[in-house]
Amino acid sequence: MNEHGHSVEIDPGKCIGCVACCQACPTKAIRVVDDVAVVKPELCTYCGNCVRVCRYDAATARTSDPSDLKMFKHTVAMPALTLYGQFGRDVLPNQVLHALTEVGFDSTYDVSWMCEMVTAATDAYLSECAGPWPKISVTCPAIVRLIQIRYPELIAHMVPIETARELAAKILRRKLSLELHLDPSEIGIFFITPCSAIMNSIVRPVGLDQSYFDGAFSIAEIYGPLTDAIKNPRTTDFETPVSPSGLLWAMAGGEIAGMRNTNTMAVRGTQDVEFVFDRIESGKFAAVDFIEAYICPDGCVSGQLVIEGRYAAQRNIQQIARKLGDQGQVKEEKVRSLLREHFFDLEEEVKARPASPLGRDLKQRIAMKKEKDGVLERLPKKDCAACGAPDCETLAEDIVLGERRVEDCVFVRIEDLTGNEASGKEGNRE
Amino acid sequence: MREPEILYVERFRILHNDYEHGGDAAAAIKSILKELGIPQEEIRRLSIANFEAEMNVIMYAEEAEMELQVLADAVCIVLTDRGQGIPDIELAMTPGYSTATPAMRERGFGAGLGLPNIKKNVDRFEIKSAVGVGTTLRYSISLKHTPRTGEA
Repeated sequence: MNEHGHSVEIDPGKCIGCVACCQACPTKAIRVVDDVAVVKPELCTYCGNCVRVCRYDAATARTSDPSDLKMFKHTVAMPALTLYGQFGRDVLPNQVLHALTEVGFDSTYDVSWMCEMVTAATDAYLSECAGPWPKISVTCPAIVRLIQIRYPELIAHMVPIETARELAAKILRRKLSLELHLDPSEIGIFFITPCSAIMNSIVRPVGLDQSYFDGAFSIAEIYGPLTDAIKNPRTTDFETPVSPSGLLWAMAGGEIAGMRNTNTMAVRGTQDVEFVFDRIESGKFAAVDFIEAYICPDGCVSGQLVIEGRYAAQRNIQQIARKLGDQGQVKEEKVRSLLREHFFDLEEEVKARPASPLGRDLKQRIAMKKEKDGVLERLPKKDCAACGAPDCETLAEDIVLGERRVEDCVFVRIEDLTGNEASGKEGNRE
Repeated sequence: MREPEILYVERFRILHNDYEHGGDAAAAIKSILKELGIPQEEIRRLSIANFEAEMNVIMYAEEAEMELQVLADAVCIVLTDRGQGIPDIELAMTPGYSTATPAMRERGFGAGLGLPNIKKNVDRFEIKSAVGVGTTLRYSISLKHTPRTGEA
């Protein structure tokens, strides 16, 4: 995997420059220039909204190459819980886990137990920490990057507990290297991901020096071979217990469902997340203890790299969790001892990565803001994005930076041609 | 004494009972200050004060103008309202003292912490009031240093 590569890519051959992605981007990281969308990597949250809205298959998420598996003596697939909900309500997690060993992995590992442990660790953290409130889950890596880039003030609100998937990979690597007498680097652990954000979090981890995963494959690319392997298993002799409450983490609301603390909220989808984060910044929601937030509309089941629709997938997960019944719970003593050894802690501080403001110092910034406001007066404020910037304000900013010209606005061009006011209404310009 | 040069000004109008837009002026000021690269912590403190001050107008005054002034070494807010005024400023500044109606309290306001909370979050605070005319609040946050580009 190329560490420097972009894990959301736009194929210039397929992109027609329609601006759908440009308008869907929560950090305004995309511009359409010469009919091709271009991503500013420093602003990208890898949320995959562009992949979701692209109708031309031009925006795609890059995952590992199957040949990467050859680099290791032992390979493990750790599926996102979402994978269990992809094959109807009658296919149980142990069948899916077994099928993964028939499509090229030496073994598999289930993450649901670790989710249950992180639930307990989060409860323990919330009962001891001092605020600021509300605390925000770091499970969704697109949310983490959104906070770093657009809401740096909220970094102090993030729960400093590593994600269940990374913790599971950490424990698994330790365990396998002892059991198989292999060097940890000879074990290849691959996540089966529902989204581009997790893929990116493996390439560019936050709160962690290096990911405990060696790569990821998407649920979508592995779905076909897995379906075949589930239909015709080579053996039916397998038993892997899965945590029913951990399983619910596949859907928004699943993380808080298993918590003792009920002073919690689940927020999902880009717009709702922005709505809530804007308010947390203004000091609201301070009476809430914990917020589970996902950039995707229904949590992980609605990632861009899945096959089953999100409604059917949620029904499947619910029914499978019910069928599994009570398979025993994570022992509290185990969680307490792991807490004592700081097993759950984020290894590194999460840093703010705000977009650099215009200008060197306050005076220059004020001058540029005034210039930008002046340019904005000339623009129609229709936010049509036909210029290739997501809205008029962003175009004005790009113009001040010298990257675009006011004539890039189609309304301004029409105005220049006809001598009429572009915006039509006088009220728009006061 | 020379008045400090005002580098940037923006004015916002706030109306009595306009709960629908409650917080809009504070939010707009916050986004301007973010754009100007004012450090996070200063924006946070000022935003808390602005929100309190804005809600005070919506609840108690007739109307007001909130003026944002950006100076080289401070961000200043001048809030001039037309309204009933405050007869006893010292009393109004006492934490816990409130004239809020039960309806306002129902909405979560009226804890009697508005003015004290503004004062607590800013670096300079002045209040002048005339009964039957209105109240003027003037408060500011000092900028200890000029923020550098890309500062986190």
